Amino acid sequence: MFLKVNNLKKYYSQDEHLIRDLNFSVKEGDIVSFIGESGSGKTTFLKCLAGLEKINSGSIELNGKVLDNQNTFVTPNERKIGFVFQDYPLFPHLTVLENIKINLEKRFLSKIEYILGLTNLQNLSNRYPDQLSGGEQQRACLARALVREPDLLLLDEPFSNLDSNIKLSIQEEIHKIVKETQTTTILVTHDIRDTFNISDKILIFKAGILQQYDNPVSMYCNPVNCYCAKILGDLNQVNINDKIFYLRPEKIMVTESSDFEGEVEKCLFAGKEYKISAKVNGETWTFFNDYAIEKNNKVYLNFNKKDLLEFDSTCSNFFTLNQ
Amino acid sequence: MEIKKKYYSNNRKLTLSTVLLSIIIILPILTLIVSTTSIDSSNFKYLWDNLLYDYSFNTVYLVAITSFFALLFGVVPAWFVSTFKFKGKNIYDFLLYLPLAIPVYIMAFTYSDILSFTGPIQSFTRKYFSNFSELLNQDYLQIEVLGIIMALALYPYIYTACRLSFSLIGSNYIELSKSLGMSKSKTFFKIVIPLSRVSIFSGLFLVVMEVLNEYGAVKYFGVNTFTSGIFRSWYSMQDVETASLLAVFLFFTVLIFFVLERFINSKYNYSYQSNTKNFKEEIPSTKNKFIIHFFCLVPIIFGFIVPILFISGNVVYEFERIEFVKVFNLSKNTILVSLIATFIIIAISVYFQFLRRIVKNKVLTIFNEAISLSYALPGAVIGLSLIILFSSTPFKSEILIGSFFVLIYAYVIRYMAVGISPLKSSFEKHPSSFDDTAVNLGMGPLKLFKSIHFPINKSAIAIAFLITFVDILKELPITLILRPFNFDTLAVQTYEYAIEEMIPKSSIYSLIIVMMGIILLIFLKKIVNNQIDVSKS
Repeated sequence: MFLKVNNLKKYYSQDEHLIRDLNFSVKEGDIVSFIGESGSGKTTFLKCLAGLEKINSGSIELNGKVLDNQNTFVTPNERKIGFVFQDYPLFPHLTVLENIKINLEKRFLSKIEYILGLTNLQNLSNRYPDQLSGGEQQRACLARALVREPDLLLLDEPFSNLDSNIKLSIQEEIHKIVKETQTTTILVTHDIRDTFNISDKILIFKAGILQQYDNPVSMYCNPVNCYCAKILGDLNQVNINDKIFYLRPEKIMVTESSDFEGEVEKCLFAGKEYKISAKVNGETWTFFNDYAIEKNNKVYLNFNKKDLLEFDSTCSNFFTLNQ
Repeated sequence: MEIKKKYYSNNRKLTLSTVLLSIIIILPILTLIVSTTSIDSSNFKYLWDNLLYDYSFNTVYLVAITSFFALLFGVVPAWFVSTFKFKGKNIYDFLLYLPLAIPVYIMAFTYSDILSFTGPIQSFTRKYFSNFSELLNQDYLQIEVLGIIMALALYPYIYTACRLSFSLIGSNYIELSKSLGMSKSKTFFKIVIPLSRVSIFSGLFLVVMEVLNEYGAVKYFGVNTFTSGIFRSWYSMQDVETASLLAVFLFFTVLIFFVLERFINSKYNYSYQSNTKNFKEEIPSTKNKFIIHFFCLVPIIFGFIVPILFISGNVVYEFERIEFVKVFNLSKNTILVSLIATFIIIAISVYFQFLRRIVKNKVLTIFNEAISLSYALPGAVIGLSLIILFSSTPFKSEILIGSFFVLIYAYVIRYMAVGISPLKSSFEKHPSSFDDTAVNLGMGPLKLFKSIHFPINKSAIAIAFLITFVDILKELPITLILRPFNFDTLAVQTYEYAIEEMIPKSSIYSLIIVMMGIILLIFLKKIVNNQIDVSKS
């Protein structure tokens, strides 16, 4: 494995553990999304990887080299890790080109043209940061990190400051650039929808603990607990023979007749289809349909039993340290 | 483990260097406080029974009068200039700021001369309105008159703070209050003033500190404040112990104001959305135009134009008797000590602020706060503290007392906070991700400073340099106490001639101080305006 994180612990006081025994590894060239709520310690984790924060115990290995453990601490400048911070910190007194060139080793100078082309910044290289849009600033930060050919690229909430209309194109651009340069990348975000389509793997992090680490499809279809299931999309609760199951909205179909009869509560237009909420056996189900159904109308719903999700009865929400 | 230890021990070394520098700055005042613990209690009783009430009352009364008029001269014109569009607005904005170049003692000497029996007003009325002249023949050397004169010299602290605060509030809140049907005056009192309370109080705090520090003007007007009491006990009565006790009293008075300022700052520092859009300036009605011009012109005329004209008139009158060699030498001395002290202050201030960014350490923050108290220490207290420090073991040194070194040391203590203030806000303005990015890009501390922090903070460094230099240029009490033998500055010479009732002769020295101050303030205003323009673009 290219990046190995073993038993990593990070805390500021003994009572307040930010990261507890984190274990995971990343293959070379993969894009991993690290999902967690705001304030859960995602940025701190990236800073630990970059050497900007101390870890309390555990180890970090990158490309066969120990970066941090009980006996070793490789300083940030020797780690070969590129970091793109959340607020796109381009130095305001330097142009895009100067920002990219700052403290750059001579051996990388020949790569600048290629990186400017890759990030589509050729025509903006002489502009100052205040003359760039949010997306352009982000591309400039990315170019500055990538030109140094890092072993690992860290992106902190790369989409949080972008308008929704350019978010999708930026996601695609980042995916294209990172894959073209074959740079192993970890990006942290609080919103899984930002990264679902560009990640090779997703790591869900909650209460200082890794909840699930898997590829997007497996994660969506087989979430390990309710928290992971809910974070990946809406869930409907289905009661069958006094047992509780969960079902994704898109797995529900409208039929002519069924055991599951509901009364429509809400019908909202959602672009190519309608998002409908209906009361079924006392529970509100959400599903999609090609045509609108008026409020208070009756509707019959069905699904394949194999699509039902079942969680361990002890799992009320998410894993904690004792589980 | 070795690598880890080395990495973090570097941070410790940097922190230690700051702590040492801070201790050097705080040491004299600690020595002063410790020295008073061994003073005979009879001294304290004498002070309590005879002097303390008089000194306390006069000090508080003078602070109150000066504060009231400084608020009037500062807040009202700042509001008019910020919100209305009228002819001469930009000139007013510039001139309202310039009394900062005139030291309080020069303002006091000038007005005492203007208002005196032989001054131009009374001479004119005696000649042309003899019936009226008797009415004007009063003793103007009164605490109330001094308060107004001091306010004329000090209101720019409040004016500047208000202008900045009003520009940060911007137009959104004003438009919102208009849409809620609030009148202009209601908007001013219910929205603008509460949102600017912290800025106004910060400006007022500087005014109060300047009043507590003032020696030349209070001595000339014969008002017994703590500062004049320290000088009198020490010089006239050779009573160092009473002087020390008074200095400690003054120190704790200042401390109360300091704590109050911090309290108000934390309690009323509303986190409002600052707006880079300027106020939508209104064209005032004819009646309002008159009020605006009146409130702007009063502080300009009496705080700047009259003193400048009077001093310049005296210089012309005395021109043939001016000793130009002496003027040149004193100017050279003044510039030299101001430059040296300013360089040291700015170097230490920049070092402190840079370290605060790269070493995240509570110790640094605490010492930074402790140093910022130094500006609140009156010059007389610092002067006395240093003499006590170098008269007692283990620092006892007869050679050092009255040396150039101690004078510079005192300036550094007194004006360190002046240098730190603009640098602190500038260094704090940039996100910490700048430093993280720089470290991630492999920059060491020196390169980080040279390539990033120096260029992005250079305007603030220039501002800090100019403000500190102008302040030291005007300094009087410390220089009076600690200047080396046969070493005078323009401020000392001005004071000495004035106290000998030779105000026309002192005018050339006053004029040079004022002109140097004006030139530097023009530079300062230009830099600040450029910064505002950049932030609004």
